[in-house]
Amino acid sequence: MVETFNSLMMGFSVAFQPQVLMYAFFGCIIGTLVGMMPGLGPLAGISLLLPATFGLNPIIAIVLLSGVYYGAMYGGSTTSILMRIPGEAASVMTCVDGYAMTQQGRAGPALAIAAIGSFVAGTLGVIGLMLLAPTLADFALRFGPPEYTALLLMGLFVLAYMSGGSMLKTLAMAVFGLLLGMIGIDVMSGYTRFSFGITELGDGVGIVPVAVGLFGISEILMTAGQADPPKVQQPTLRQLVPTASDLRQSVGPIARGSLLGFMIGIIPGSAHIISSFVSYGMERRLSKTPERFGQGAIEGVAGPESANNAAATGAFVPMLALGIPTGPVTAVMLAAIMVHGILPGPMLIQQQPDLFWGFVASMYVGNVVLLVLNLPMVGLFVNLLRIPYAYLYPCILAFCIVGCYSVSNSTMDVWIMLVMGVVGYVLRKFGFDLAPVALGLVLGPMLELSLRQSLAMSGGDYAIFLQRPIAVTMLVLAVVLLFFAVKPLIFKGKDWRSKVGLDEPADS
Amino acid sequence: MFIVLRLMVIAGLVAAWPAAAQQFPVKPVRLIVPFAPGGPNDILGRLVAQKLTEQWGQQVIVENRGGAGGTIGLEAAVRSPKDGYTLAMGGTSNLTVAPSLYEKLAYDPLKDVTPIINVAAVPYALAVNPTVPAKTARELIPIALRKTGYLSYGSSGTGSMSSLAAELFKSLSKTQIVHVPYKGTAPALTDVVSGQIDLMFADLALIKPLAERGRLRAIGITGAKRSPSARELPTIAESGLPGYDIEPWFGVITTEGVPRPIVMRINAGIAAALKSPDVLQRLAALGYEPLGGTPEQFAATIKADIAKYAAVVKAAGIKAEL
Repeated sequence: MVETFNSLMMGFSVAFQPQVLMYAFFGCIIGTLVGMMPGLGPLAGISLLLPATFGLNPIIAIVLLSGVYYGAMYGGSTTSILMRIPGEAASVMTCVDGYAMTQQGRAGPALAIAAIGSFVAGTLGVIGLMLLAPTLADFALRFGPPEYTALLLMGLFVLAYMSGGSMLKTLAMAVFGLLLGMIGIDVMSGYTRFSFGITELGDGVGIVPVAVGLFGISEILMTAGQADPPKVQQPTLRQLVPTASDLRQSVGPIARGSLLGFMIGIIPGSAHIISSFVSYGMERRLSKTPERFGQGAIEGVAGPESANNAAATGAFVPMLALGIPTGPVTAVMLAAIMVHGILPGPMLIQQQPDLFWGFVASMYVGNVVLLVLNLPMVGLFVNLLRIPYAYLYPCILAFCIVGCYSVSNSTMDVWIMLVMGVVGYVLRKFGFDLAPVALGLVLGPMLELSLRQSLAMSGGDYAIFLQRPIAVTMLVLAVVLLFFAVKPLIFKGKDWRSKVGLDEPADS
Repeated sequence: MFIVLRLMVIAGLVAAWPAAAQQFPVKPVRLIVPFAPGGPNDILGRLVAQKLTEQWGQQVIVENRGGAGGTIGLEAAVRSPKDGYTLAMGGTSNLTVAPSLYEKLAYDPLKDVTPIINVAAVPYALAVNPTVPAKTARELIPIALRKTGYLSYGSSGTGSMSSLAAELFKSLSKTQIVHVPYKGTAPALTDVVSGQIDLMFADLALIKPLAERGRLRAIGITGAKRSPSARELPTIAESGLPGYDIEPWFGVITTEGVPRPIVMRINAGIAAALKSPDVLQRLAALGYEPLGGTPEQFAATIKADIAKYAAVVKAAGIKAEL
């Protein structure tokens, strides 16, 4: 403990060096801007900026990148809330209630709560990371493909709580998402499925172009289709600040989201993207007024935003224990130091203490910088909405296309985004909820891969899921969740769904 | 910023004018790295680009164009003008394995590509979870035979170098080891460390630090000779499986039909870079081995490896399509 504290103090002495501090600040600003770019999320942000760090020294490189990473996470929620454009899978849920709040003229509180939630979750995450990393890392390593499969199945059952509309429509959309996830090269056999001879589809359909299309582009089309242009908002100062009741309602979701996100985040791999979906489902399930979700419930912003930030920090736990990247984000971070000839590995912390502890300390610094940077800017961001839609929307469309293209220099992504925009428009006209599509697309390929990996490990024997304690526990939980989900279908009228009205379109 | 750079490159390409080899390059050169930033291909590509920029006084701009196992970026390079201003980092996977893996590959590495220079070899090693009671390849084979179908290996994907290295091991040793593919090297390696799966063939650079801490046991180098960065580690060929040889490399290519003097000028530039102390030091830190040589030698390596991996792919029964 004392040792950790001393190391952390050393870390701060690195992080507070003027040059390092400057780059941390710089990284946060770039990150916020990148995150605000439609279609560019944290992962895309650091991947794009990675080459720019090669000329810097390793400590500065990693501090800069983590600033960009956190910044993009904050920035991503800004566009989700203001314009319904998610920068990454994790902000899809923020779009739903965040944007609904914006339409009610409550963009300010939504942005403020997102920033506060992210700050709390990020800070708690770093503390957890520092104190619990060694203990948790060994637990995290017990997550093999069978445990992963069980976890993802649990994630799938969260679907039941995701939308207020008809269960049939929700499931139909989830299946649509799962089907989209089938496109691309099958990792097990190497065969390409449903690519229609288009090479670029071999890598599958990315979640970002789909999410931007379904949520962002469709919103632009919907607005264009209205007979009267929507009224340009003129928020007053009082409307920018969250009320006492906003804060009170957000405490629980932020706390639960932070814990949940961190726990999901430490699992090696990409599971952290489901944290915001699970958090949303959980908040809705726990809420006394679930019918408010989807109509601008602040809990629907606070929970997922905290969960995704905590998960982002949790993802560093296995990386620190093993020193090898265990997910896409940590891979990019480690690449930044590998370029300098520093080999990642379990010895990294001992061999490069100033690098490691400087990085941890800079995460604290980064979170504070972002809060300080973002809270005052809420007013500025909200004023973007003052721009008449006739000018705002064409610009957003252009930014969406540029952002989407620049992630992997692929025109295919742009087409996917545009097609999904039209698909999203049509689906919304028919009253379908779109969040389940995103969850399906995220879960589909991961669930398939881990299921088949498990079966390859066991030689095709399904008993592998029952022989492993963690997997069994989660499967039991999943069955319980499933039971709660189908209960209203069996015992009619006992559920909050009846309060909402089964076929009320949740989205228009 | 990147978009501006990219526009500048495009503008440069539009204004293409014939260049004598001595003056080459008179405008920025594009180096396509057909993978996402951060991997060995990218690290080597950026090193080459940086050195050529210093030598030529012209920007060599790295462009990451990932996708479909590195074939999308190579396809883009092959379709560019034949003036030497578009280069690409090729590798064992997309130059020599892809032709036998994909029925409808968009380029023929023997016809559509001008090899320029082989840059570096990235040694692979075989690592097992420490609970597997084998210290050498010789000891592993009987275990794999006895536990038919129960030892499992992880790979970064079907048809990846790590899966082919394992498949060659299986076919030479006549063992059956179950393949559990992952998306990328890191998650697979994580699961070898945690014992979910038993073994894996991966970059020595990633395995070495884990082996030093006892998280993994490295039991052999996949190439024909030992690696300078891990002298104590025997090759798999010398420790029980004669004839086993897998050595992934990365080299610079351009499209076919680029004038010979330009090819030679680029070759000379990279060859000089591969002799500079800072490059050698950087490569040594990562355990990569500088290769160099003439375009003809590189062409011969490509040709030989295409035949070699065709046999491995066939023996393993892997089929894929694009």
